Amino acid sequence: MINFEEELKKFHPSLEVEDAVDAIYSQDLTDIADLLLKKIMEPEQGFVQEYEEEQ
Amino acid sequence: MFCYNCGCRLSEHDFCTSCGADVSLYKKVIHVSNMYYNEGLERAGVRDLTGAVISLRQSLKFDKTNIKARNLLGLVYFEMGEVVSALNEWVISKNMSPEKNIADEYIEKIQSNSTRLESINQTIKKFNRALSLCNQGSQDLAVIQLKKVLSMNPRFIRAHQLLALLYMERQEWERAERELRRCMEIDRNNLQTMRYLKEVEQILTPEEGGKPPARRKKEEAVRYQSDNEMIIQPLNVKEPRRSGISTLLNIGIGLVIGVAVTCFLAVPAAESKVRNEEQQITTKISGESDAKTARIQELENQIRNLEGRIEELEGQIDGYVGEEGMLQTIDGLLQIAASYTETGDIHVAADELEDISQRVNIEEMPEGYQRLYRSVLASIGPDLAAEYYNEGNTAYWANNYAEAIPPLEKAVYYDASHMEALYLLGQAYRMNGDNEEAIAAYDKLIELFPDTQRAVSARQFRDSLAPAN
Repeated sequence: MINFEEELKKFHPSLEVEDAVDAIYSQDLTDIADLLLKKIMEPEQGFVQEYEEEQ
Repeated sequence: MFCYNCGCRLSEHDFCTSCGADVSLYKKVIHVSNMYYNEGLERAGVRDLTGAVISLRQSLKFDKTNIKARNLLGLVYFEMGEVVSALNEWVISKNMSPEKNIADEYIEKIQSNSTRLESINQTIKKFNRALSLCNQGSQDLAVIQLKKVLSMNPRFIRAHQLLALLYMERQEWERAERELRRCMEIDRNNLQTMRYLKEVEQILTPEEGGKPPARRKKEEAVRYQSDNEMIIQPLNVKEPRRSGISTLLNIGIGLVIGVAVTCFLAVPAAESKVRNEEQQITTKISGESDAKTARIQELENQIRNLEGRIEELEGQIDGYVGEEGMLQTIDGLLQIAASYTETGDIHVAADELEDISQRVNIEEMPEGYQRLYRSVLASIGPDLAAEYYNEGNTAYWANNYAEAIPPLEKAVYYDASHMEALYLLGQAYRMNGDNEEAIAAYDKLIELFPDTQRAVSARQFRDSLAPAN
C-alpha cells in the first residue's frame, strides 16, 4: 500500500529559470576521465619534482 | 578521439603516435561513455525516458565532453517536461563545444519565444507551489494548481505523478489511473508511475489475481470510489420477467403520471414564469415611461420659462427700438436739436418738444437726455414764452379768458421765470371761474417772486378767492 506522506517526500521542487545559471555554475562536472588523467599525471609530476630535487 | 596529452588524433594503438602517452585506459573510459550513450539512445527510442536518463548520465559520468550524450539528455529532459534541466544540459554542451552544436539550435528555439519561456517558468512556479500546498495539507488547491500546470505543459511527468498521487489519496482512483496512463504514454518505464498504477489497478480490479470472471459473478456488487461518491455496481441482478400486460399497464401508469406532472407542476410553473416575465417587462416599461414623462414635463417647463423670457426680452427690445421706444425718443430729440441749430425755427422745435413732453416722462429718461431736453428748452423757451404771453395777453384784454389760458400756460411752461405770464394766467383763471387753478398760480407767483408788487396783488386776489392758511 502506498503511503502518501512517504511518497510526497520523493517529490522535490523543480528548478526555476532564474536559478538555472547558478545551477550550471554549481554543477560538479568532474568525470571519470578527469580522475583517470589526474592519476596518470600525478606520478609524472612526482617524477619531475624528484628529478629536479636530485639535480 | 584525441590524445589527452598532446591533442593529436589517436589511432588504433594503445599509445599516442605523436607523444607516446599511454592512452589505453583513457580509450576504455571513452568507449564506456559511448556505450552508455548508445544504450540511452536506444531507450529513448522506445520511450523508456527514465532508463535513457540513467544511461546518458552514466555516459556523462565517464566522459563529460560527450556532446551527443549531453544533447540527448537535454532532449529527454525536455520531453519529460523538465525544461530547465534540459536548458542546463544544452548550455553546458554549447559551452564545451561552441561550433556546429545542435544544442545551440535548441536553446535558440526556446529563447526566441519569450512568451513560451515565460509560460515554462510559470509552469515550474505553479508546480512548486502545488508541491508546497501538498506539504501544507491543502490538497484541493494543489489539485487545481497541478491541473493548470498540466494544461500549460501536458508532458510534465512529475506533475502527472503528483496529481495521480493526490487523486489516490482522495480515493479518486479512476482519475488517478487516467493521469498515470498519460505518464506511461510519455515515459513507458518509469518505476514510480508503474508502482502507482499497480496500486490503482489493484483497487479498481481487486480480484484480478485469481479467476476474475468467475469470482465476479459470485460477487454481489463491485464497489469503488469515484470523486466523493462510493459507487456500488450490482452484479448478477436480473430483472424479473414481466408479462406484456403488466408492461403495458406500467407504460400507461407512467404516461398518466407524466401527464399529471406536466399539468400540475410543469404548466403552472411555466405560466408563472411567463407571468413573472410579463410583470417584469411591464414594470420596466412603466418605469421608463414615468421617467420619460417627468423629463417631458421638465422640458415643457423649461420651454415655458424660455418663452416668458423671450417675451420679456422682446418687450425690452421694443422699449428700446420700437416706434415709441427710447431710441426713437432720443432720436426725435436729437432731430429737434439739429433742426433748431440749423434753421433757428423755434416753432417747429416747440411743436416737437411739446409732442415729446406729452409722450415721455422726462424725469424717467436718462440723465443725458434730460440735459439735452432742458438745454433745447432753455434755448427756445424765452422766445416762445414771449410769443405765447403776447397771444394770451391779447386774448385776456379782449375778455376772452378761456382762450387766454392755453397760451399763458405755455408761456409759463417755456419760461418759468416769466412773472407777468404767471400773474396774467392767475388772473385769467380767476376771471374764467377756475378758482383753484387761480389760487395755485397766485401761490406759485408769491413763492417765486415774493418781494414784488405782483406778489402783493396776487396775495390780495388769492385772499379774495380763499382765506389765507
